[in-house]
Amino acid sequence: MDNFFMLFEEGKYTAELFARKYNLKFQSALNRLSKLKKQGLVTVTGGGKQKRIYTLTNKPQEKTNGFYDVVNKYSKEKLVPKFQHRVIGRYTVEHAIIDGILIGDARTLEATMYLFNHVKNWKRLFDLAKERNVVEEVRALYFKTRKTMKCRRMPKRYVE
Amino acid sequence: MINTKDQEDLFKLISEYLDRDLSCIAIGGTAMMFSNYKTTTKDIDLVFESEKERESFILAIKQIGYKECLLETVYDKWRLNHTEKPLMFTRGDERFDLFVKTVFGYKLDFNQDKIIQRIDFLGKKNLSIFILSKEDLILLKSITGREKDFEDIKTILDLEKFVDWELIIKNAVKQKETNSWILIDLEETLQKLKDSFSLDTGLFELIYTSQD
Repeated sequence: MDNFFMLFEEGKYTAELFARKYNLKFQSALNRLSKLKKQGLVTVTGGGKQKRIYTLTNKPQEKTNGFYDVVNKYSKEKLVPKFQHRVIGRYTVEHAIIDGILIGDARTLEATMYLFNHVKNWKRLFDLAKERNVVEEVRALYFKTRKTMKCRRMPKRYVE
Repeated sequence: MINTKDQEDLFKLISEYLDRDLSCIAIGGTAMMFSNYKTTTKDIDLVFESEKERESFILAIKQIGYKECLLETVYDKWRLNHTEKPLMFTRGDERFDLFVKTVFGYKLDFNQDKIIQRIDFLGKKNLSIFILSKEDLILLKSITGREKDFEDIKTILDLEKFVDWELIIKNAVKQKETNSWILIDLEETLQKLKDSFSLDTGLFELIYTSQD
Protein backbone atom coordinates (compact mmCIF):
# COMPACT_ATOMS: atom_id res chain seq x y z
CA MET A 1 0.00 0.00 0.00
CA ASP A 2 1.20 3.46 -0.88
CA ASN A 3 2.68 5.31 2.10
CA PHE A 4 1.19 8.54 0.83
CA PHE A 5 -2.26 7.21 1.63
CA MET A 6 -1.28 5.94 5.05
CA LEU A 7 -0.72 9.49 6.28
CA PHE A 8 -4.41 10.06 6.83
CA GLU A 9 -6.08 9.27 10.09
CA GLU A 10 -9.00 6.84 10.06
CA GLY A 11 -12.42 8.24 10.80
CA LYS A 12 -15.30 10.24 9.40
CA TYR A 13 -14.77 13.52 7.56
CA THR A 14 -16.64 16.05 5.52
CA ALA A 15 -14.71 17.49 2.56
CA GLU A 16 -14.26 20.82 4.40
CA LEU A 17 -12.99 19.13 7.54
CA PHE A 18 -10.61 16.97 5.54
CA ALA A 19 -9.25 20.05 3.73
CA ARG A 20 -8.83 21.94 7.01
CA LYS A 21 -7.18 19.05 8.83
CA TYR A 22 -4.62 18.33 6.12
CA ASN A 23 -4.14 21.93 5.09
CA LEU A 24 -5.42 21.48 1.55
CA LYS A 25 -7.51 23.62 -0.77
CA PHE A 26 -11.09 22.42 -1.03
CA GLN A 27 -10.65 21.14 -4.60
CA SER A 28 -7.39 19.38 -3.69
CA ALA A 29 -9.16 17.70 -0.79
CA LEU A 30 -11.88 16.45 -3.12
CA ASN A 31 -9.27 15.13 -5.55
CA ARG A 32 -7.41 13.39 -2.75
CA LEU A 33 -10.62 11.82 -1.41
CA SER A 34 -11.52 10.68 -4.88
CA LYS A 35 -8.14 8.94 -5.27
CA LEU A 36 -8.55 7.29 -1.89
CA LYS A 37 -12.02 6.15 -2.89
CA LYS A 38 -10.62 4.50 -6.01
CA GLN A 39 -8.20 2.60 -3.78
CA GLY A 40 -11.09 1.37 -1.65
CA LEU A 41 -9.90 3.33 1.37
CA VAL A 42 -12.90 5.66 1.49
CA THR A 43 -16.61 4.97 1.60
CA VAL A 44 -19.06 7.80 1.02
CA THR A 45 -22.53 8.30 2.40
CA GLY A 46 -24.92 11.12 1.58
CA GLY A 47 -24.96 13.23 -1.54
CA GLY A 48 -27.69 15.28 -3.14
CA LYS A 49 -29.40 17.30 -0.41
CA GLN A 50 -27.42 15.53 2.27
CA LYS A 51 -23.86 16.51 2.99
CA ARG A 52 -21.37 13.87 1.94
CA ILE A 53 -19.58 12.08 4.76
CA TYR A 54 -16.33 10.33 3.88
CA THR A 55 -15.24 7.39 6.03
CA LEU A 56 -11.50 6.76 5.80
CA THR A 57 -9.97 3.38 6.62
CA ASN A 58 -6.40 2.14 6.66
CA LYS A 59 -7.13 -0.92 4.58
CA PRO A 60 -9.33 -1.36 1.54
CA GLN A 61 -12.92 -2.31 2.30
CA GLU A 62 -14.34 -5.05 0.11
CA LYS A 63 -17.95 -4.62 -0.93
CA THR A 64 -20.21 -7.29 0.48
CA ASN A 65 -22.88 -9.04 -1.59
CA GLY A 66 -24.09 -11.80 0.68
CA PHE A 67 -26.90 -12.56 3.10
CA TYR A 68 -27.13 -9.18 4.80
CA ASP A 69 -27.22 -7.31 1.51
CA VAL A 70 -30.07 -9.48 0.20
CA VAL A 71 -32.04 -9.29 3.44
CA ASN A 72 -31.62 -5.55 3.85
CA LYS A 73 -32.67 -5.03 0.25
CA TYR A 74 -36.00 -6.85 0.59
CA SER A 75 -36.88 -6.84 4.26
CA LYS A 76 -38.58 -4.11 6.27
CA GLU A 77 -36.65 -5.31 9.33
CA LYS A 78 -33.09 -4.19 8.65
CA LEU A 79 -30.23 -6.16 10.16
CA VAL A 80 -26.82 -5.09 11.36
CA PRO A 81 -24.35 -7.60 9.89
CA LYS A 82 -22.89 -10.02 12.41
CA PHE A 83 -20.12 -10.75 9.94
CA GLN A 84 -19.08 -9.55 6.50
CA HIS A 85 -20.48 -11.90 3.91
CA ARG A 86 -19.07 -12.02 0.40
CA VAL A 87 -20.09 -14.45 -2.27
CA ILE A 88 -18.26 -15.45 -5.41
CA GLY A 89 -20.85 -17.05 -7.63
CA ARG A 90 -24.61 -16.64 -7.94
CA TYR A 91 -26.20 -15.94 -4.55
CA THR A 92 -29.98 -15.87 -4.66
CA VAL A 93 -32.91 -15.14 -2.36
CA GLU A 94 -33.25 -18.90 -1.90
CA HIS A 95 -29.68 -19.11 -0.60
CA ALA A 96 -30.40 -16.19 1.73
CA ILE A 97 -33.48 -17.90 3.23
CA ILE A 98 -31.38 -20.96 4.08
CA ASP A 99 -28.62 -18.78 5.56
CA GLY A 100 -31.19 -16.84 7.60
CA ILE A 101 -32.55 -20.07 9.06
CA LEU A 102 -29.04 -21.34 9.80
CA ILE A 103 -28.09 -18.10 11.57
CA GLY A 104 -31.28 -18.66 13.44
CA ASP A 105 -31.78 -15.81 15.94
CA ALA A 106 -35.20 -14.18 16.29
CA ARG A 107 -34.37 -10.92 14.50
CA THR A 108 -32.72 -12.67 11.59
CA LEU A 109 -35.65 -15.06 11.20
CA GLU A 110 -38.12 -12.19 11.24
CA ALA A 111 -36.17 -10.38 8.54
CA THR A 112 -35.83 -13.58 6.53
CA MET A 113 -39.63 -13.97 6.43
CA TYR A 114 -39.84 -11.07 3.98
CA LEU A 115 -37.73 -13.00 1.48
CA PHE A 116 -40.48 -15.56 0.76
CA ASN A 117 -42.20 -12.92 -1.34
CA HIS A 118 -39.19 -12.87 -3.66
CA VAL A 119 -38.62 -16.59 -4.12
CA LYS A 120 -38.40 -17.38 -7.81
CA ASN A 121 -37.31 -20.97 -7.69
CA TRP A 122 -39.00 -23.10 -5.02
CA LYS A 123 -37.19 -26.20 -6.23
CA ARG A 124 -33.83 -24.54 -5.61
CA LEU A 125 -34.99 -23.49 -2.15
CA PHE A 126 -35.97 -27.02 -1.19
CA ASP A 127 -32.89 -28.58 -2.79
CA LEU A 128 -30.72 -26.28 -0.70
CA ALA A 129 -32.85 -26.98 2.38
CA LYS A 130 -32.44 -30.71 1.85
CA GLU A 131 -28.66 -30.36 1.56
CA ARG A 132 -28.53 -28.47 4.84
CA ASN A 133 -31.19 -30.55 6.61
CA VAL A 134 -33.51 -27.62 7.24
CA VAL A 135 -36.57 -28.60 5.18
CA GLU A 136 -38.90 -28.57 8.17
CA GLU A 137 -37.54 -25.23 9.35
CA VAL A 138 -38.14 -23.70 5.91
CA ARG A 139 -41.75 -24.94 5.94
CA ALA A 140 -42.32 -23.71 9.49
CA LEU A 141 -40.97 -20.26 8.69
CA TYR A 142 -43.07 -20.12 5.52
CA PHE A 143 -46.29 -20.95 7.40
CA LYS A 144 -45.42 -18.37 10.05
CA THR A 145 -44.88 -15.82 7.28
CA ARG A 146 -48.26 -16.67 5.71
CA LYS A 147 -49.94 -16.00 9.05
CA THR A 148 -48.27 -12.67 9.68
CA MET A 149 -47.98 -11.03 6.27
CA LYS A 150 -49.13 -11.16 2.70
CA CYS A 151 -46.94 -13.73 1.03
CA ARG A 152 -46.58 -15.56 -2.24
CA ARG A 153 -48.11 -19.05 -2.22
CA MET A 154 -45.78 -22.03 -2.19
CA PRO A 155 -46.48 -24.76 -4.81
CA LYS A 156 -48.55 -27.54 -3.28
CA ARG A 157 -45.94 -30.25 -3.87
CA TYR A 158 -43.62 -28.57 -1.37
CA VAL A 159 -46.23 -28.00 1.32
CA GLU A 160 -46.11 -31.53 2.75
CA MET B 1 3.19 -16.58 -4.40
CA ILE B 2 -0.50 -16.07 -5.00
CA ASN B 3 -2.39 -12.78 -5.06
CA THR B 4 -5.90 -11.97 -3.89
CA LYS B 5 -7.55 -12.32 -7.30
CA ASP B 6 -5.78 -15.61 -8.11
CA GLN B 7 -6.66 -16.95 -4.69
CA GLU B 8 -10.36 -16.19 -5.20
CA ASP B 9 -10.27 -17.75 -8.67
CA LEU B 10 -8.54 -20.81 -7.26
CA PHE B 11 -11.18 -21.30 -4.55
CA LYS B 12 -13.93 -20.85 -7.14
CA LEU B 13 -12.26 -23.51 -9.28
CA ILE B 14 -11.95 -25.88 -6.33
CA SER B 15 -15.64 -25.42 -5.51
CA GLU B 16 -16.40 -26.81 -8.98
CA TYR B 17 -14.53 -30.02 -8.11
CA LEU B 18 -15.95 -30.60 -4.62
CA ASP B 19 -18.23 -33.56 -4.03
CA ARG B 20 -20.00 -31.96 -1.04
CA ASP B 21 -20.55 -28.58 0.58
CA LEU B 22 -17.59 -27.67 2.75
CA SER B 23 -16.73 -25.00 5.26
CA CYS B 24 -13.35 -24.22 6.72
CA ILE B 25 -11.51 -21.50 8.60
CA ALA B 26 -8.75 -19.61 6.83
CA ILE B 27 -5.81 -18.66 8.97
CA GLY B 28 -2.44 -17.06 8.29
CA GLY B 29 -1.73 -15.29 5.01
CA THR B 30 -5.01 -16.32 3.41
CA ALA B 31 -7.04 -14.80 6.22
CA MET B 32 -4.89 -11.68 6.05
CA MET B 33 -5.57 -11.38 2.34
CA PHE B 34 -9.31 -11.73 2.79
CA SER B 35 -9.12 -9.10 5.54
CA ASN B 36 -7.07 -6.84 3.23
CA TYR B 37 -3.97 -6.74 5.41
CA LYS B 38 -1.80 -7.92 2.53
CA THR B 39 -2.05 -8.77 -1.13
CA THR B 40 0.04 -11.90 -1.62
CA THR B 41 0.80 -15.09 0.26
CA LYS B 42 2.97 -18.14 -0.22
CA ASP B 43 0.80 -20.69 1.51
CA ILE B 44 -2.93 -21.14 1.94
CA ASP B 45 -3.68 -22.32 5.48
CA LEU B 46 -7.08 -23.88 6.03
CA VAL B 47 -8.58 -25.62 9.06
CA PHE B 48 -11.40 -28.13 8.62
CA GLU B 49 -13.88 -29.31 11.20
CA SER B 50 -13.40 -33.00 10.48
CA GLU B 51 -11.03 -35.39 8.76
CA LYS B 52 -13.80 -36.26 6.27
CA GLU B 53 -14.11 -32.64 5.17
CA ARG B 54 -10.35 -32.38 4.69
CA GLU B 55 -10.40 -35.56 2.62
CA SER B 56 -13.10 -34.13 0.35
CA PHE B 57 -11.04 -30.99 -0.13
CA ILE B 58 -7.90 -33.01 -0.86
CA LEU B 59 -9.80 -35.06 -3.43
CA ALA B 60 -10.77 -31.84 -5.21
CA ILE B 61 -7.30 -30.27 -5.22
CA LYS B 62 -5.71 -33.52 -6.39
CA GLN B 63 -7.98 -33.39 -9.43
CA ILE B 64 -6.51 -30.02 -10.37
CA GLY B 65 -2.95 -31.20 -10.01
CA TYR B 66 -1.88 -30.58 -6.40
CA LYS B 67 0.49 -33.15 -4.96
CA GLU B 68 1.31 -33.93 -1.34
CA CYS B 69 4.72 -32.70 -0.18
CA LEU B 70 6.93 -33.03 2.88
CA LEU B 71 6.71 -30.72 5.87
CA GLU B 72 10.44 -30.81 6.64
CA THR B 73 11.34 -27.73 4.62
CA VAL B 74 8.80 -25.51 6.37
CA TYR B 75 8.34 -26.52 10.00
CA ASP B 76 10.79 -27.06 12.84
CA LYS B 77 11.41 -30.40 14.59
CA TRP B 78 8.92 -29.80 17.40
CA ARG B 79 6.13 -29.07 14.95
CA LEU B 80 7.11 -31.99 12.72
CA ASN B 81 6.64 -34.36 15.64
CA HIS B 82 3.34 -32.79 16.68
CA THR B 83 0.28 -35.03 16.37
CA GLU B 84 -1.83 -32.22 14.93
CA LYS B 85 0.46 -31.18 12.11
CA PRO B 86 -1.01 -30.28 8.71
CA LEU B 87 -0.97 -32.08 5.41
CA MET B 88 0.76 -30.05 2.70
CA PHE B 89 -0.09 -29.99 -0.97
CA THR B 90 1.70 -28.02 -3.63
CA ARG B 91 1.49 -27.14 -7.29
CA GLY B 92 4.12 -24.76 -8.62
CA ASP B 93 4.54 -21.86 -6.22
CA GLU B 94 1.26 -22.33 -4.39
CA ARG B 95 0.92 -24.45 -1.32
CA PHE B 96 -1.98 -25.62 0.83
CA ASP B 97 -1.44 -26.36 4.55
CA LEU B 98 -4.51 -28.30 5.62
CA PHE B 99 -5.27 -28.75 9.33
CA VAL B 100 -8.13 -30.49 11.11
CA LYS B 101 -9.74 -28.78 14.14
CA THR B 102 -6.48 -27.59 15.66
CA VAL B 103 -3.32 -25.81 14.62
CA PHE B 104 -0.48 -27.44 16.53
CA GLY B 105 -2.69 -27.87 19.57
CA TYR B 106 -4.54 -24.54 19.24
CA LYS B 107 -8.21 -25.52 19.02
CA LEU B 108 -10.28 -23.43 16.66
CA ASP B 109 -13.89 -22.60 17.39
CA PHE B 110 -16.24 -23.17 14.43
CA ASN B 111 -19.05 -21.26 16.14
CA GLN B 112 -20.54 -18.67 13.75
CA ASP B 113 -20.39 -16.05 16.51
CA LYS B 114 -16.60 -16.10 16.38
CA ILE B 115 -16.23 -15.25 12.72
CA ILE B 116 -16.01 -11.75 11.35
CA GLN B 117 -16.18 -12.56 7.68
CA ARG B 118 -17.56 -15.34 5.52
CA ILE B 119 -16.77 -15.84 1.86
CA ASP B 120 -18.86 -18.32 -0.09
CA PHE B 121 -17.63 -19.78 -3.35
CA LEU B 122 -20.67 -21.14 -5.15
CA GLY B 123 -19.59 -23.65 -7.75
CA LYS B 124 -20.88 -27.17 -8.24
CA LYS B 125 -20.83 -27.27 -4.45
CA ASN B 126 -20.50 -24.55 -1.87
CA LEU B 127 -17.13 -23.79 -0.31
CA SER B 128 -17.50 -21.44 2.69
CA ILE B 129 -14.40 -19.85 4.12
CA PHE B 130 -14.60 -18.26 7.55
CA ILE B 131 -12.24 -15.53 8.71
CA LEU B 132 -11.45 -14.99 12.38
CA SER B 133 -10.92 -11.72 14.20
CA LYS B 134 -7.58 -9.88 14.11
CA GLU B 135 -6.96 -10.95 17.72
CA ASP B 136 -7.27 -14.62 16.76
CA LEU B 137 -5.03 -14.08 13.74
CA ILE B 138 -2.34 -12.47 15.89
CA LEU B 139 -2.47 -15.27 18.45
CA LEU B 140 -2.23 -17.93 15.76
CA LYS B 141 0.67 -16.10 14.14
CA SER B 142 2.43 -16.01 17.51
CA ILE B 143 2.42 -19.77 17.89
CA THR B 144 3.28 -21.07 14.42
CA GLY B 145 6.90 -19.97 14.75
CA ARG B 146 7.59 -19.36 11.07
CA GLU B 147 9.88 -16.63 9.83
CA LYS B 148 7.30 -14.47 8.12
CA ASP B 149 4.69 -14.65 10.85
CA PHE B 150 6.23 -11.98 13.01
CA GLU B 151 6.30 -9.61 10.03
CA ASP B 152 2.62 -10.36 9.44
CA ILE B 153 1.77 -9.47 13.05
CA LYS B 154 3.56 -6.16 12.58
CA THR B 155 1.58 -5.52 9.39
CA ILE B 156 -1.69 -6.03 11.27
CA LEU B 157 -0.59 -3.75 14.09
CA ASP B 158 0.50 -1.05 11.65
CA LEU B 159 -2.98 -0.97 10.15
CA GLU B 160 -5.14 -1.45 13.22
CA LYS B 161 -5.74 1.33 15.70
CA PHE B 162 -7.06 -0.93 18.44
CA VAL B 163 -6.06 -4.48 19.24
CA ASP B 164 -7.51 -6.13 22.34
CA TRP B 165 -4.36 -7.67 23.83
CA GLU B 166 -6.17 -8.76 26.98
CA LEU B 167 -8.54 -10.81 24.85
CA ILE B 168 -5.57 -12.38 23.06
CA ILE B 169 -4.03 -13.36 26.40
CA LYS B 170 -7.38 -14.68 27.69
CA ASN B 171 -7.76 -16.80 24.56
CA ALA B 172 -4.23 -18.09 25.00
CA VAL B 173 -4.93 -19.00 28.63
CA LYS B 174 -8.01 -20.97 27.55
CA GLN B 175 -5.79 -23.03 25.26
CA LYS B 176 -2.91 -23.67 27.61
CA GLU B 177 -4.18 -27.13 28.64
CA THR B 178 -3.80 -28.44 25.10
CA ASN B 179 -0.89 -26.23 24.12
CA SER B 180 1.55 -25.85 26.99
CA TRP B 181 3.90 -23.51 25.06
CA ILE B 182 1.27 -21.04 24.00
CA LEU B 183 1.87 -18.45 26.73
CA ILE B 184 5.62 -18.71 26.32
CA ASP B 185 5.36 -18.18 22.56
CA LEU B 186 2.97 -15.27 23.07
CA GLU B 187 5.23 -13.65 25.64
CA GLU B 188 8.18 -13.96 23.28
CA THR B 189 6.19 -12.22 20.54
CA LEU B 190 5.05 -9.46 22.89
CA GLN B 191 8.65 -8.89 24.02
CA LYS B 192 9.68 -8.36 20.40
CA LEU B 193 6.77 -5.98 19.82
CA LYS B 194 6.79 -4.00 23.05
CA ASP B 195 9.18 -1.24 21.95
CA SER B 196 7.79 -0.66 18.46
CA PHE B 197 4.16 -0.63 19.57
CA SER B 198 4.55 0.60 23.17
CA LEU B 199 2.68 -2.26 24.79
CA ASP B 200 1.51 -1.96 28.37
CA THR B 201 3.73 -3.76 30.92
CA GLY B 202 0.54 -4.96 32.63
CA LEU B 203 0.07 -7.39 29.74
CA PHE B 204 3.27 -9.22 30.69
CA GLU B 205 2.14 -9.45 34.32
CA LEU B 206 -1.14 -10.92 33.10
CA ILE B 207 0.78 -13.57 31.16
CA TYR B 208 3.10 -14.38 34.09
CA THR B 209 0.22 -14.73 36.57
CA SER B 210 -1.74 -16.88 34.11
CA GLN B 211 1.26 -19.13 33.55
CA ASP B 212 1.47 -20.06 37.26
